[in-house]
Amino acid sequence: MTDDELIRAVNEVFIDSFEIPPEKLTPQALIFQDLGLDSLDVVDLVAAIQKRFKVQVRDDERVRSIRSMQDLYNYLILIRGEQKLG
Amino acid sequence: MTTSLAEAGTHRGSGQRTIGQWAAFLSLNIWFYTIGTLFSFVYVTLAGLWVLLCLAVTRNRRKTQYVIRRAISWYGWVIIRLPWPWARLKFVDYEPDAKPPFVVVLNHRSSSDAYVGAVLPIECVQVLNVWPNHVPFLRFMARIATYLSVREMPFEEFAAKGSRLLQQGCSVIAFPEGTRSGSTKLNSFHGACFRLAQMNRVKIVPMAVFGNERIPARGAPWLNPGKVILSKLVSVKPEQYEGMSAYKLKNMVRDMIAAHLEAQANEARGTAATGAKHAAR
Repeated sequence: MTDDELIRAVNEVFIDSFEIPPEKLTPQALIFQDLGLDSLDVVDLVAAIQKRFKVQVRDDERVRSIRSMQDLYNYLILIRGEQKLG
Repeated sequence: MTTSLAEAGTHRGSGQRTIGQWAAFLSLNIWFYTIGTLFSFVYVTLAGLWVLLCLAVTRNRRKTQYVIRRAISWYGWVIIRLPWPWARLKFVDYEPDAKPPFVVVLNHRSSSDAYVGAVLPIECVQVLNVWPNHVPFLRFMARIATYLSVREMPFEEFAAKGSRLLQQGCSVIAFPEGTRSGSTKLNSFHGACFRLAQMNRVKIVPMAVFGNERIPARGAPWLNPGKVILSKLVSVKPEQYEGMSAYKLKNMVRDMIAAHLEAQANEARGTAATGAKHAAR
């Protein structure tokens, strides 16, 4: 999976799970402030990402430092090397 | 941080207050804090005795909780109307025949919002943030009325307690912004109360509070004269949010409240512009 494919797949998770308009999904968008997710939505997001990419990220401390979409893309690109993304 | 009386002397929209505005401001605060303190002392004493009597006579926990919750609402009903005629409250109900229990969601501009729910003639509890628990008396009252301190419990516990209340017919009032905006801004919503409504398939009643962002202003004890309009909007029924994500539901309800507040702001601007034209003639 290339970086572009991964970014597209992450955006699809947001569109499918939260019905967020694609134009809002910019790399600079802040997940809490700009997209309006709350802590419970993040639990749903983590579950959706785990299901989509077949990875385990729930207990990873690095997830806590994710603020923006770019942070999320970078994190998933990083763990792509550690775990084989589905 | 609190605001001094000198700082409170500035009037929104017109810089310094005129003598007439100062007179209204001082009359309002002297009246409200004098009569409000006296009323609170007498009411809390009498209501406390009434609750103790209910406990002794009925020994029925459910009935006693009902009496306590209604007693708190009656107290709020008086307190929210006490600033009349300097600060007036207008309540508009767009669906008066809606039957409780509901999950009621309000925008949150001022600490006076805690009382506005008291205009609803229903048994209800509020979802609290952390700060009321720092005031011993409020903490005691919130505990005996089984208010839900959402920050002090995991979501599962909040959902279980909230569901029990709704099943008993008691409505739940929440401020999904989480904290006061202190301005006319509507912040993003938290979804816990919407998930609670979905789990129990109850109506969600959006309420828009307009005009109280300075009654009192955030960080200030002083009330400013003005008019507060509390609108109980048409409820969102379970069949309308069937299959909808909590995220989409909370944003849909937020948009309903935002649209209503925007319409009220436009109306107020129009009224102000017409008034200015008449004054200029």
